[in-house]
Amino acid sequence: MQSSANLALSAAAHILVVDDDREIRELLAKFLERHGLRVTAVRDAREARRALLNGHYQMIVLDLMLPGETGLDFARWLRTEASTHSHLGIVMLTAMGEETDRIIGLELGADDYVAKPFNPRELLARIRAVLRRAADSPQPRNAGPARQWRFGGWTLDPARRRLVSPDQVEVPVTGGEYDLLLALVERANRVLTRDMLLDLLRGRQAGPFDRAIDVAISRLRRKLEDDGRHAQLIKTVRGGGYVLAAEVERL
Amino acid sequence: MRPWPRSLAGRTALVLVSALTVVQVAGLTIHAFDRIGLLRLAQTRDVAMRIADIYRAVALISPERREAIMRDLDLRDGATARLEAGPPTEDLPQTPQPQRRQIAVSLGLVPVPQVDRWREMVMLGGTAEQRLVVGMHMPQGRWLNMSVPMPPPRFWYSSSFLAAFLLMTMTAGLLTLWAVRRLTDPVRTLGRAAEALGRDVNAPPLPEDGPTEVATAAAAFNLMAARIRRFVQDRTFMLTAIGHDLRTPITRLKLRVEFMEDDEMRRKMLADLDELEAMVAATLAFGRDITTDEPVTAVDLAELLRTILDEASDTNPDKASAIAYAGPDHLPVRGRPVALKRALVNLVMNALNYGAAARVTLRLPHQGTVTLLVEDEGPGIPLAELDRVFQPFHRVEPSRNNETGGMGLGLPITRNILRAHGGDVSLSNRPTGGARATVTLPV
Repeated sequence: MQSSANLALSAAAHILVVDDDREIRELLAKFLERHGLRVTAVRDAREARRALLNGHYQMIVLDLMLPGETGLDFARWLRTEASTHSHLGIVMLTAMGEETDRIIGLELGADDYVAKPFNPRELLARIRAVLRRAADSPQPRNAGPARQWRFGGWTLDPARRRLVSPDQVEVPVTGGEYDLLLALVERANRVLTRDMLLDLLRGRQAGPFDRAIDVAISRLRRKLEDDGRHAQLIKTVRGGGYVLAAEVERL
Repeated sequence: MRPWPRSLAGRTALVLVSALTVVQVAGLTIHAFDRIGLLRLAQTRDVAMRIADIYRAVALISPERREAIMRDLDLRDGATARLEAGPPTEDLPQTPQPQRRQIAVSLGLVPVPQVDRWREMVMLGGTAEQRLVVGMHMPQGRWLNMSVPMPPPRFWYSSSFLAAFLLMTMTAGLLTLWAVRRLTDPVRTLGRAAEALGRDVNAPPLPEDGPTEVATAAAAFNLMAARIRRFVQDRTFMLTAIGHDLRTPITRLKLRVEFMEDDEMRRKMLADLDELEAMVAATLAFGRDITTDEPVTAVDLAELLRTILDEASDTNPDKASAIAYAGPDHLPVRGRPVALKRALVNLVMNALNYGAAARVTLRLPHQGTVTLLVEDEGPGIPLAELDRVFQPFHRVEPSRNNETGGMGLGLPITRNILRAHGGDVSLSNRPTGGARATVTLPV
């Protein structure tokens, strides 16, 4: 059910895979190519730099545990060198249990992560989601990643994927709820139809989507103490869509 | 009060105070005997002086006026004096020789003119009879017969002495107690440190000061704690290394599986790999203390529970009707959200997997503690298993097949996390059937 525009975008995308394990590198390249992506695979940060000089990439899949210069240092370099490579989407491969690496990586401006050992299909879905987001993101990438979003007293912290109430109490949200809220916050005061939301969230969700979005919205309203009948924050738009009606501050 | 106190300080104090009492009593007894002798001597002298005084007063008066004077004599304390024709006739034994001599010597000290000295003297009674009778033959022919009481000497010469003695003993006892408590303080500190080490291997070391023995014990304890810490670190490192080393082959396998032609086989192999990954993840989570590197923050416990239950009903739609939450809408507590979620997810998933239901009740904080219950409708847990299920790798069914459960690490992880938060978890069976997990957390 992928739109043809997205398919074309994915097909054109050139991905740089950085992983020190030769077999993983080769298998991953083969797997991604089979799903219509162009892939170049290198073993460390030094080779990655050389590859970046010679090719044009949309995205880098970066293992954080690299010999020599670590993946985190390399990601930092990518994001600080604002002019040439800041357009690159970054999906990190983190070790499970290494929450700190993941948080630092997301704070540095990585777009997403999957924990090793990852499910290849999930990685593919994340790569596509990031490519899609890059294509339709209202912000130019060189504005840098948002460290925090503020709306109506609430804080959304992308690095730790958490929602903090006006009383500074963390309100737990599921991964799906977080993604949905982030999609709404990033496009505040714009009406998003269910189809648009489905498209934006496809990387994360599984299952019957239409219903899932309505359920997630009602749960989010409960968490945001937004009365469903007279919702003030997440408003229902007649004809099947939602809008976050609030002044959003990007920090 | 128990006769033999349980604490070291109590025992030492008891021994010291008992010894002090024995020494005090012995010293006091010796002193009392000494004192009785002295008192008797003084009494004898005193009596002799009184007799001499009476005799002198009578002797210095002309014989005709004596009878009249006798009535005016001021005699204290039940003493009597009479002029009679003969010596005293009381039925008393002769005064013992040592006392006679004492009295005679004392009488000799009283200045009485030579012409008026008595010609003869009779002494009856004495200390033993508590009365001394003395008859003195006056130069003019009459006998002056006197009787003086000799009450037994008072052992306690004043009631304030007794009070002072008691006060002294009590003060000494209290000082002993205080000193003993101070001296045994390091033992209590050591006990507390050992207890703290049991809960957290990274507890701060003991100060190695104070008396030599205490300093040595503290140093030995710190060395032991360091060894335990190193052992735990080695174990954690080993588990983490295994986990990391397994990551690469599992990742490769997952990629290889994607190229398999047989869809059914691929699905099964992916399921096996997911299971393998889950086992590695559980071992890693148990091996490393996942609570340590996560910062403590305020988290909405009520919303955390509802989120867990939402996710549980999303993944188990067939059991959604058996998943319920009762409690306040919001309840902020201080904790580590990721760790807490992991701990509570384990309980909810256990209830769903083994008890076909997960009914969570969150109670409002009471005396600084918030209690929550996770109840199911399963067969419950055999009594003997109620505490053993918290041991790592222990599972209620002896067979380790994974169709019904995991590796037996869920509850140990849950307990570790909750205890690190200052709370706890226990299991019980409900009277109406089903198991109940009771979680306590400080607010």
